[in-house]
Amino acid sequence: MFVDTVIEDKALHKPAFLIGLSLTVLAIFFALNFTNSLFGEFLRPVIGDPTESGFFGRFAVSLVLTIIFVLNLFAISFFKLKVQVAIVWLELFLLFLAFAYSFDLKMSFIQSRIPLMITRGLFTTIYISAISIVLATVIAIIGAIAKLSNNGFAYAISSFYTSLFRGLPLLLQLFLIYKGLPQLGFMVDAVPAAITALSLCYGAYMTEIFRAGIQSIPRGQWEASRALGFKFNLILRKIILPQAVPIIIPPTGNQFIAMLKDSSLASVLGVWELMYLARTLGQRDFRHMEMLLTAAMIYWALTIVLEVIQARIEEKYKQKS
Amino acid sequence: MMDTKTNIPNNTEMTPVISLKGVSKWYGDFQALSNIDLEIKLKEKIVICGPSGSGKSTLIRCLNRLEAHQEGTIHVSGIELHERMKDIDVVRQDIGMVFQSFNLFPHLTVLENCMAGPNWVRGVDKSKAKERAIAMLEQVKIPEQADKYPEQLSGGQQQRVAIARSLCMQPKVMLFDEPTSALDPEMVAEVLDTMIELAKSGMTMICVTHEMGFARQVADRIVFMADGEIVEQNSPEEFFNNPQHERTKVFLDQILK
Amino acid sequence: MNIKFGLKKATIVLTAALLSVNMSAKAGAVYDYIKANNELMIATDANWAPFSYIDDDGVMQGFDVEVGREIAKRMGVEARFITPDWDVITAGNWNMRWDVSVGSMTPTASRSEVLNFPAVYYYTPAAFAVHTDSPVTTLAGLNGKTICTTAASTWEMYLQGNLDMLDAPAFTYDVTPGTITSLKDGSMCADDTRLGAGVRNDGFIDSVPMIQGAIEAGYPIRFLGDPAFHEPLSLATDLGNDDPELDAELARIIAEMQSDYSLSLLSIQHFKNADGSSEDYTVAY
Repeated sequence: MFVDTVIEDKALHKPAFLIGLSLTVLAIFFALNFTNSLFGEFLRPVIGDPTESGFFGRFAVSLVLTIIFVLNLFAISFFKLKVQVAIVWLELFLLFLAFAYSFDLKMSFIQSRIPLMITRGLFTTIYISAISIVLATVIAIIGAIAKLSNNGFAYAISSFYTSLFRGLPLLLQLFLIYKGLPQLGFMVDAVPAAITALSLCYGAYMTEIFRAGIQSIPRGQWEASRALGFKFNLILRKIILPQAVPIIIPPTGNQFIAMLKDSSLASVLGVWELMYLARTLGQRDFRHMEMLLTAAMIYWALTIVLEVIQARIEEKYKQKS
Repeated sequence: MMDTKTNIPNNTEMTPVISLKGVSKWYGDFQALSNIDLEIKLKEKIVICGPSGSGKSTLIRCLNRLEAHQEGTIHVSGIELHERMKDIDVVRQDIGMVFQSFNLFPHLTVLENCMAGPNWVRGVDKSKAKERAIAMLEQVKIPEQADKYPEQLSGGQQQRVAIARSLCMQPKVMLFDEPTSALDPEMVAEVLDTMIELAKSGMTMICVTHEMGFARQVADRIVFMADGEIVEQNSPEEFFNNPQHERTKVFLDQILK
Repeated sequence: MNIKFGLKKATIVLTAALLSVNMSAKAGAVYDYIKANNELMIATDANWAPFSYIDDDGVMQGFDVEVGREIAKRMGVEARFITPDWDVITAGNWNMRWDVSVGSMTPTASRSEVLNFPAVYYYTPAAFAVHTDSPVTTLAGLNGKTICTTAASTWEMYLQGNLDMLDAPAFTYDVTPGTITSLKDGSMCADDTRLGAGVRNDGFIDSVPMIQGAIEAGYPIRFLGDPAFHEPLSLATDLGNDDPELDAELARIIAEMQSDYSLSLLSIQHFKNADGSSEDYTVAY
């Protein structure tokens, strides 16, 4: 968003807002009732046994939490924007860690399974996603050009394709391919079936992104190219697509991130990717949360890597134009 | 300079480079051009003027078939332009066009904009294309901007690059579609100077413009259009001093006020 | 799971389809393929300790897996495991993706419409489990309550009152649940049950050894009453690619493993009680 040149007073520095906020937060904390959690334990010296502290205990816990919360916000409001962002990120991350910690995780269990999660699970996940991303991109380029063409067949096929594959749940497509193709005599194993489903589904979404990207290039670019005697293929390759790429990148990056996570659907076909192992490895010892949280962190880390790559590419195109 | 073969056969000064007979065009029910007859000879400079909506831009855009006409015939150097033709790109290579909104390629530098045509379609090798591009940028007096991107230039500079880009293709005819209308007033002169230079070098030019000073100085003939028709055409002298039609007089009154 | 492998099989399926009018493979085609390829593809669960699970090194382990390995060994070929979802296996129509299911499948009338059951190899009791704090003390106490189980399992059929086991000991429907929650696997039920009695469910039904394992892992759950029923557990092959030769070979190997007690030995190794004693589930009731 484009920031105005006039700075408004910070809402947090207005007494009325602070009081309203405090009361609202107090009501929320009171409703959620943290008396029986860790916070209640902290206040044991004041309220006695948390389970028997009743209304007073519940109110006291809520009040203390509210004061901490509001003071925290108030303090952060005095920092510069970048510092604010860093502090809030850190605090949210610590809250997430506390959430994970509350499951009484057995670290040695995680350590013993992580090598398999990475060598087998992460590898398979990346392998499936990477091939699917390449195929989906190819499909999307062809689909977008077909959708913009004057050829009736090309337009009909591509619009039917995008309509169908955007219209069906990915899991359903996966089953249609895995169970349906063998009936026609085309044997597909689990991994190729997953790659096919992901490529077709995301190819359909990306077809629309690419089409919109190509259409957003002003008509004048086509006319100037034609006036110079360029043929269609040349215009597309050298003039239109290079200009469409920076427009296409942010939504395409989103699709890549979504696809990375949707590759977990391959687990229903018994493919030993990250999600499958996360669900399975904790089974013998009935330690499911350990594996699920480990997989969560790996997926998150992967996504951050993709986000950084996307930001880099966007930056590169920004410098160029 | 003529190191590549051109696609349009050479004309003598007497035969028309472009000829239109009975050309009409509709946008839906609206008739944009009606029954246009026009001939343009080699090295001739034509200025087309008229009130907005008179069809002058449509007419010039029909000459390289950026727009399709529905009735009548258009010949460029004897080649008829029609919807089934195979080699429109070959004809277009010999017709340069300058647009109101410049239409430079924003992802290419000024130099690359100028090299693109010769290198990609004429098959001129890169070093030769670069040599020619620099020569043309010198002709339009901005060789020092060669490595910048279009958006770093002023409007007037961009339009001069657009002219240089067209000239790099060594066209036989140059079309100008309101080349100064999108410019700030102080930049109009630099573009017009470039066009005057070009006219002096003997280029065949067809210009849609409201710049009557330029028309008076350069044009061999002025074509006045209104409501999709050619109302009158005449030498500049006659056109300005002795307009024949009432509509022409009204237009001149308004524009020269 | 490589593509080349799939293509080879596709060729066989296609050829078989072309040669035979009724679309089923020629007798012996699957077994011939196993021998020719020197590999027995075995479908089993990876999420059902102690029957079958993945160990720390990424290798399949468990009773079913050991039985599968032994069958392949006696067939003279390599064993390879594939782990599709349970309902994908029971649905039949395998298209030769795998040759046999060694996954503790109970023969039922409905399953026998799409699968063959060449050999029963052991028998387990199925039982109900509830949270240790649960007020329920008898099976009848679960009537009208929410019971969790694995989707497409015999336990689900039991809860629905339509368990059509073949060649099984007689049993009675002792529980009429109010709501049945069918999840992907039994361990998800155990996870829900341990949250407390009546939180997500009032109890679940699964195989006794599985419940035993959860209790040993410290889950706050206990057995409720006597086992509800005893189920024979069998190998399964695809009826769509009917291959009497393969079925006969599988039956022969199981009979051999029973008579030389290797099957009993595997059971004793894998099924241990809390008191350290072992169970031989391979003996029929």
